[in-house]
Amino acid sequence: MKQIFLSFALKLRNSKRYKEAKAYIWELLNGTSNPYKKYLDIFIIFLIVTSVFILVYEVTNPVPVWLDYYDFYFVSFVFFLEYILRLWVHNDLSKYIVEEYRDAQFLHREFELWPVLKQGLKEKLNYMITPSAIVDLLAIFPAYRPLRVLRIFVLFRMLKLLRYTKSINQFVEVINNKRFELLTLLFLLFFIVITAGIAIYVLEERINPQITSLFDAVYWSLVTITTVGYGDVAPVTDAGRAISMLTIIAGIGMISFATSVIVSAFSERLNEIKESRIIEQVNKSKSFLIICGYGQMAKMFFRQRRDQLDNYVILDKDIKRVEQAKKDGYKVVQEDASRFEILSKFNVKHANITILCLTASDVENIYITLNAKSISRKMKVIARVNDINIVSKFEYAGADHLLMPNQVVNTMISTAITQPTMYKAIHAILTGKSIARIDEMHVHEEHSLVGKSVGELDFKKNKLLFIGLERKGEFFFNPPATEIIQNYDILLLMGRKISLEYFRDIHEGIR
Amino acid sequence: MYKRSILLFGYGSHGKFVAKGLQEDGFLLKIIESNHDYYLQAKDDGFMEVEHMDVTNDRLLEVLDPQNYEKLVCVMEDEHLNVFLTLSLRSLFKESYILSISDSIHTTKKLKMAGANKVIDLYEVSANKIHNILKRPVATKLLEGFVSKKDGIGFKEMIVPQNSFLEGKTTDEIDFSPYGVLLIGMIDEMLGHTFVFITAGINHELNHGDTIVCIGSEESLNAFAEEIKKEESIL
Repeated sequence: MKQIFLSFALKLRNSKRYKEAKAYIWELLNGTSNPYKKYLDIFIIFLIVTSVFILVYEVTNPVPVWLDYYDFYFVSFVFFLEYILRLWVHNDLSKYIVEEYRDAQFLHREFELWPVLKQGLKEKLNYMITPSAIVDLLAIFPAYRPLRVLRIFVLFRMLKLLRYTKSINQFVEVINNKRFELLTLLFLLFFIVITAGIAIYVLEERINPQITSLFDAVYWSLVTITTVGYGDVAPVTDAGRAISMLTIIAGIGMISFATSVIVSAFSERLNEIKESRIIEQVNKSKSFLIICGYGQMAKMFFRQRRDQLDNYVILDKDIKRVEQAKKDGYKVVQEDASRFEILSKFNVKHANITILCLTASDVENIYITLNAKSISRKMKVIARVNDINIVSKFEYAGADHLLMPNQVVNTMISTAITQPTMYKAIHAILTGKSIARIDEMHVHEEHSLVGKSVGELDFKKNKLLFIGLERKGEFFFNPPATEIIQNYDILLLMGRKISLEYFRDIHEGIR
Repeated sequence: MYKRSILLFGYGSHGKFVAKGLQEDGFLLKIIESNHDYYLQAKDDGFMEVEHMDVTNDRLLEVLDPQNYEKLVCVMEDEHLNVFLTLSLRSLFKESYILSISDSIHTTKKLKMAGANKVIDLYEVSANKIHNILKRPVATKLLEGFVSKKDGIGFKEMIVPQNSFLEGKTTDEIDFSPYGVLLIGMIDEMLGHTFVFITAGINHELNHGDTIVCIGSEESLNAFAEEIKKEESIL
């Protein structure tokens, strides 16, 4: 028996396909980055809505048999499958068994199956008793038509919807945070309801025909304290009315207390909720920018954008600057980008992320660069360097591009002083004014430019200036007319935007 | 007026780098600073001509004789002071060339109103560079190299001398490639003092006094600058 389990576990553990499939299903059910998750969610929501609709419709109208079958078998089966899969991917039994086996081998002790299996199953059981797992389980049981009470199970299908609505989850989380206050309140409520109930029972049981049992009295008490006041049970004696008045006053106090607890819990968390929404939203896009620091540089960056920029998020730890960014209408999160947890919240695996370190402090910028690169080498970092002397440190930290405002200013000042004409030219080129864009053109394999010589391409006719080409990281300035263009060359061209675009259009085609 | 002489106001976070850069480029430099710490810093960094004074005092400014300097550069740490200084200098010395740096759009406007001849925005170019890096990373890297002359290739402006072989020819006629340089743009004095890029698509006739801006390796540019002095008959 032990041997069978062990060999089975070992086989699963060594199977790459099994592991991949499990990871895929986990991602599909619990993750955020699987592209098909959206469709699965929509499908499940559809099943829930239809099955609830069928139940409600059925109350007064007869439904066709196939709809009953659909509800009874198909929906239940899908939910059953989902439940089993969730349970399956929750943890990895084979992993525990194999690990225990290896440890046992290493220590030359006898391999015991039961303890590890118990441990793994206990974890599964722990999952099974979480509220969402219970709801999932109960939602499987279909609304058994003949027994009306069982129809209540459909409500669990409604509750299952909660899994798919983010706001409810957040609501629950917020309430959960105020557990202590709310529990105190609940206890108080319970105490007052019972006390008032007993009081009215003792005072009016004989006199008031509406109150025949303690249950009636407690019911009256709860209806009164919550200020609902149906009026079906009402006190008839002066003493009973006095109790009522006290209960009503206590009720008003308690309701306002409960409201204020919940409201304050929300206002405390509101920012956090908004910010996590921003991060979630940006994580959905394939490529985005993380802008660290909302200072002059970032402001200038936003001012200069020519086309709509959607995929970005600003991170700043200073509340004042965050408020400013909010006022200016940008997506901002008050977080410290130099912290590991913050940057790892982003979809590092699947998206192309470019980080702009624009804070005024070099130390901070270096730290953010290192942080980003330690999470993933794939993240591109563009960092601002204030002190020209520490450029090498940024390069060492792995920054892909550097921005040096001070150096630029130096160049501009000395150019403005020595060569005033050129200043205008350089300024126009650097700021990309339309008459003087310098642009690059990447030659791909199927490009019609491949194999042509520089002389053959009449750049002048297209009102372009061919400055040179980069091949394998090396730049060739003004190559001779006989030079042949190869795959993966990058041409450096200067000209107006329309000339560049036109040239691109006519040559981008397939050979 | 001394040639290549600069009166630099401010030795703060930006002034420090500006001063170093200008010194490396061989300018005669005099530094004025109102903050005592920065003043000492400048002294420490080995600048000889450093003066500690209150720049809001007009009489002290007059004593400096700014007319004797080619350009006045205002890079005070405090932006209010920088604007005030620019204004004072302009009102006192109508003829001087004043260059100021600004670190926000609002300051840029104010400095221009205060009468600065040129305002360099610290972040404008850098912020633009981000857009450029995102769109065309290779071109940006190369271009930066050209501007800072890092890889031996740079820009140069030259004035077309009298009787040069370039005179009377149009920009389309002249083949610059044998000289290893490319013509980027020019100022046609006949058409007003504005810079035109060659790629604007207008064929210009070159005359003496026109300024041309070329790109190329340093030697080619220098050789070309010599070359254009020659007359056509000699060639």
